[in-house]
Amino acid sequence: MSEPAFEPKPLDADILCVGFGPATGGFLTTLSRALTEGGLASQAFPGMPPQVICYERADDIAFGVSGVVTRARAIRASFPEFEPAEVPMATSVCTEKLVYLMDPDGASQRPAWMQAADWMLQAFSKLTKGQKNAFEVPFIPSFLHKNDGFVMALGQFNQWVGQQVMMSGQAQIWPGTPVAEPLIEDGKVAGVVLTGEGGEIRAPLTVVADGPVGAVSRRLDDIFGLPEGHKRDEWALGMKFVVDLPEGVELAPGTVFHTIGYPEPEIFGFFYVHPDRVASVGIFIPSWMESPVRSGYRYLQHYIQHPYLWQYLKGGKLRSWGAKSLLESGKRGEPYLAGDGYARIGENSGSTNVLTGSGVDEAWLTGVQLAEGVIELMREGRPFTRENLEAAYVTRRRASWLEKEGAVAENARNGFQRSLFLGFLGMALDGLTGGRLHLPRARREKPPRKLIDHYFGRLPHSYVEQIVDHCLRDGRPLHDALMDAVGWPEIPYDGQLLISHQDALLVGGKVQAPGDAADHVIFRDHALCQACETRICIEICSGEAIHPGDGAVPAFDREKCVHCGACLWNCPTANVMFAAGPGGLHSAEN
Amino acid sequence: MEKILVLVHTDEGGVLPRAALETVAAARSLTGDFTIGVFGEKAGASIGSLAVEGEAFSAPRYATDAAACEAIVRKAGATLVLAPNTFRMARCLPGVAARLNGAVDTHAVAVSHDTEAVTVTRWFYRQRMEGTLAREARPWFILIEPGAYEAAEASLAAAVEVLPVEATTRTTHVGYVSPESGEQTIRPDARLLFVAGAGWTKKQADGAVHTDEAGELILGFVRTAQSSLGSSKSLVDLSGEGQTVLPFLTHLHQVGQTGSTPRHRKGLATCCHGEEPHVVGWRFINERRAVNLDPNCGWARGKADVLYVADAFEVMRELNRLI
Amino acid sequence: MSFEIIVCGGLAPDPLQTLEPVPGPALKNEMMLPAVFDPWAAHALYEAAHLAAQMPGSRLRVVCLAPKAKLQQVMMKMAQKLPFELIPLDGPSNGFSDAGPTSEALAGAIQALPDVDISRLLVFGGWESATRGAGVVMQMVGERLGITEQFLAVDEVKVDAGALVIKERVEGGQHMVSRCAGPPAVLAWATGSLPEPPNHPQTGMANMRTMMPALQKAAAVAPANGVAYHEVALPKVQRETRIVKDLSAAEIARELATWVKE
Repeated sequence: MSEPAFEPKPLDADILCVGFGPATGGFLTTLSRALTEGGLASQAFPGMPPQVICYERADDIAFGVSGVVTRARAIRASFPEFEPAEVPMATSVCTEKLVYLMDPDGASQRPAWMQAADWMLQAFSKLTKGQKNAFEVPFIPSFLHKNDGFVMALGQFNQWVGQQVMMSGQAQIWPGTPVAEPLIEDGKVAGVVLTGEGGEIRAPLTVVADGPVGAVSRRLDDIFGLPEGHKRDEWALGMKFVVDLPEGVELAPGTVFHTIGYPEPEIFGFFYVHPDRVASVGIFIPSWMESPVRSGYRYLQHYIQHPYLWQYLKGGKLRSWGAKSLLESGKRGEPYLAGDGYARIGENSGSTNVLTGSGVDEAWLTGVQLAEGVIELMREGRPFTRENLEAAYVTRRRASWLEKEGAVAENARNGFQRSLFLGFLGMALDGLTGGRLHLPRARREKPPRKLIDHYFGRLPHSYVEQIVDHCLRDGRPLHDALMDAVGWPEIPYDGQLLISHQDALLVGGKVQAPGDAADHVIFRDHALCQACETRICIEICSGEAIHPGDGAVPAFDREKCVHCGACLWNCPTANVMFAAGPGGLHSAEN
Repeated sequence: MEKILVLVHTDEGGVLPRAALETVAAARSLTGDFTIGVFGEKAGASIGSLAVEGEAFSAPRYATDAAACEAIVRKAGATLVLAPNTFRMARCLPGVAARLNGAVDTHAVAVSHDTEAVTVTRWFYRQRMEGTLAREARPWFILIEPGAYEAAEASLAAAVEVLPVEATTRTTHVGYVSPESGEQTIRPDARLLFVAGAGWTKKQADGAVHTDEAGELILGFVRTAQSSLGSSKSLVDLSGEGQTVLPFLTHLHQVGQTGSTPRHRKGLATCCHGEEPHVVGWRFINERRAVNLDPNCGWARGKADVLYVADAFEVMRELNRLI
Repeated sequence: MSFEIIVCGGLAPDPLQTLEPVPGPALKNEMMLPAVFDPWAAHALYEAAHLAAQMPGSRLRVVCLAPKAKLQQVMMKMAQKLPFELIPLDGPSNGFSDAGPTSEALAGAIQALPDVDISRLLVFGGWESATRGAGVVMQMVGERLGITEQFLAVDEVKVDAGALVIKERVEGGQHMVSRCAGPPAVLAWATGSLPEPPNHPQTGMANMRTMMPALQKAAAVAPANGVAYHEVALPKVQRETRIVKDLSAAEIARELATWVKE
């Protein structure tokens, strides 16, 4: 006799979390405290306390990449006694500046109005107070400031939180365990399926917090769709260096610069000073950048050499390097936050606020809100259905500052889809009026331009074609040749801070991809790759993991991939399959 | 005042390992006299005035070796024991140190005796940082890393006291075996690492590929110089793809990021570009030289001590003749 | 026939991280760096698990001296690989701690176990660590436990008619073969021949039911340190490369021959 087919399979845990970042940190911190208080029972293992398990894809819980400055409102609500000194690399913000950077190289693609602004600033040098090629904006718009917050390294903060959660004994966080997809039965999420031989793991509640490009999140979106009118079409690649500042640089820990204007007008940058003369310095390459030549690494090398930053960085030493995608659609890209057997928190749930430039604290808050809801449901013995989770979690989220600020940010970047000028104008308008006034959204997304269009007027058509041919023949990406051609200066390698991209992959750590795992980046339809002109996946790849192969289809090297996921949203034909896989941890101080 | 003992062992046939004479040199670099103790086969007819010998003490076994060393150290009343960092000594002396309530430091690359204090220099974190240290505990056993000192001359002891030692063990010595892959692997104790890069399989100046000669030159050198043989990832990948390249190279030879990180005093890279992923495997290679046709290769950028811009075929033909 | 296998192991910073000493000496940012179970001790553990699986009725325990918070993190990786019991000791596990007192702490923890059958005991560990790299702790642990059948740099052990046939690495790229009549014995492992087992989440979850309480109760130990460090420094990383362009192949070969023979 076989078992009856409807016999429910045994549960492996009460709550499964997918991914360990700030959202799961907030969730598990809040939940583990309630479990320590007691009074909650396990459904999976009657008579025991609830079993809570978190699977993290990377080899270490310190995977998170963000040299973050955060107001930490939600984090401080969880840790009222929070002392930044307890967390390596964390400190309070002491100085915050917004700086407009002019182009000392003359190589960036600046619109006429920006060139005029540069000329004005140069002509009236009093405005720049002697700063070379830079203008310190005299005030920081209220929506942008972080002067009551902290500078942190997210990897270290995650590690600090994870250690406390685990030492409470109330939750297990398993690194090196990628989740392939949600386990769906009868239209409900019944748990997860792990990659490799891991098999199915069942629980009444699955908390999905796998970040901007998480495989489980994307699968849920495929199955359940997005709410009416919601779209995930705005992204950025953040890349940063962690630098030992040279002796003699006396910038106080907690010094924060936000920059605009350079290396390209669309690229925003940051410079944060940690304790012990360490700085995080980086840039964001947005999906609405016109240039198809999107090398984060080369642009970052130019960025740090801008005279305004180089005065502090010259003579410094690269400690480590990291990159991640940011899902910048925010509330406009919000998925269904709860369903039967699952809830979504963190960046993939649309919590990142693109106007305030903040995501870590928002993600944390979503985790706290879900935990509060879950505790309530467990106390009342109510199941994790969509209705119950909406009432207990989504309602909390809707009533919080996260929702209010997210709504203000919803239309803040609309202008950038039309032009840079309208982008800045729209952002200011939206931010300063609290979202009451904003530009309408363009009907179409702004795709990267074709090479010849982008370089029209700067490089002859035939020359661009020649460069493309040569790069293809030599198996090189395009960005270096094209950037050289339009006048970006050669990088003066010094072996310390200015080093080759390949060398940077080995500074401060190295990606470790287990030998037995399958490739997690796959080019689905080779014909589409063959027809692709710019192959932006190669240009933007943070680790040079995607590189020109022998044919027209790019090659992929798993041991260099930092799992930033930029290939996913930069492929114009959505031809990249980006699956869950282990590895990708480069450094714990990012 | 330290009472210094140089403690060495003989190998099969009563031969002293070279490392034993290097340890004598280390002892001579210190101030003060020292006693030499020897154990093992024919130890009574060696350089030591104290000896433990006999069939039970011929083969390397922990229980018997430790008993022999304990007896010699006690007899000498030593406060400082210098010994070669051979596998045999590394196996037994730490336990002897524990037995005598002493202390032990291994892989010493230098030992010095400035004014009062004796200091030892050794490496930490897989040879990533170098430290100099001292200890109060005595007897202090210091194992000198082979190759750290030039071997000294030492004559046979004029008078030898053979110590009677009782030791029991449940272990019998069976013998020695060589790994199947023999000469063609990384030899942990070789002084030199020879690395062959993908350039050996490329077209040469005459427009033709000369892999047969490349194989002969590489193996000829490795055999004569008794060196380790390593390779770059690109070359072993080519071999793995079934191309008619150097068939004796496998992924076991791969040095670098995805291969091994062997320890050798010297390394010679040939026809290898010196890209960072490969060079990280050279972390424990102290002296590095490279032969490459490209003066702008990675080795030129601070990764080698010497880069010879030359044709490796020509250089290796000459070099094999000379050694 | 079955064994009582106890593996001793510590932690090491992920070997691919950049390391730097600071006065103390200590490792700069030691608590920030991702840690791994010491690679050689890990080989010992994989071999121990393999042996225990071959010999039904065998028991596998791991005694680990390391800072508790780091140990917890590392165990989340190791516990997924194979089933074992953990005996954690909360204390230093770095290259500058002293091997002798470390071995005392480990031996003490083994002696304190109420149910060890010494006649079946095999003590495993790495032959060296990736931190201190001294290769002395296991012999001292054995000595303190009164075990005089000891093997260093082991690559293979086979059970033959109740005896252990052991291959140890020795000079010249060779292995020395010994036959040990049986336990108790100490085996300090080189790499062995087993690969790192893949992760099995269910194994991890089962292990954690006993490991978590053990970690929470882990006793703090503060081994003495008898070492006085005068200096610890990084070697000069960047070399001054001498680029030789105008020598003939014969001249280069002569220079190389001299250098090779030095």
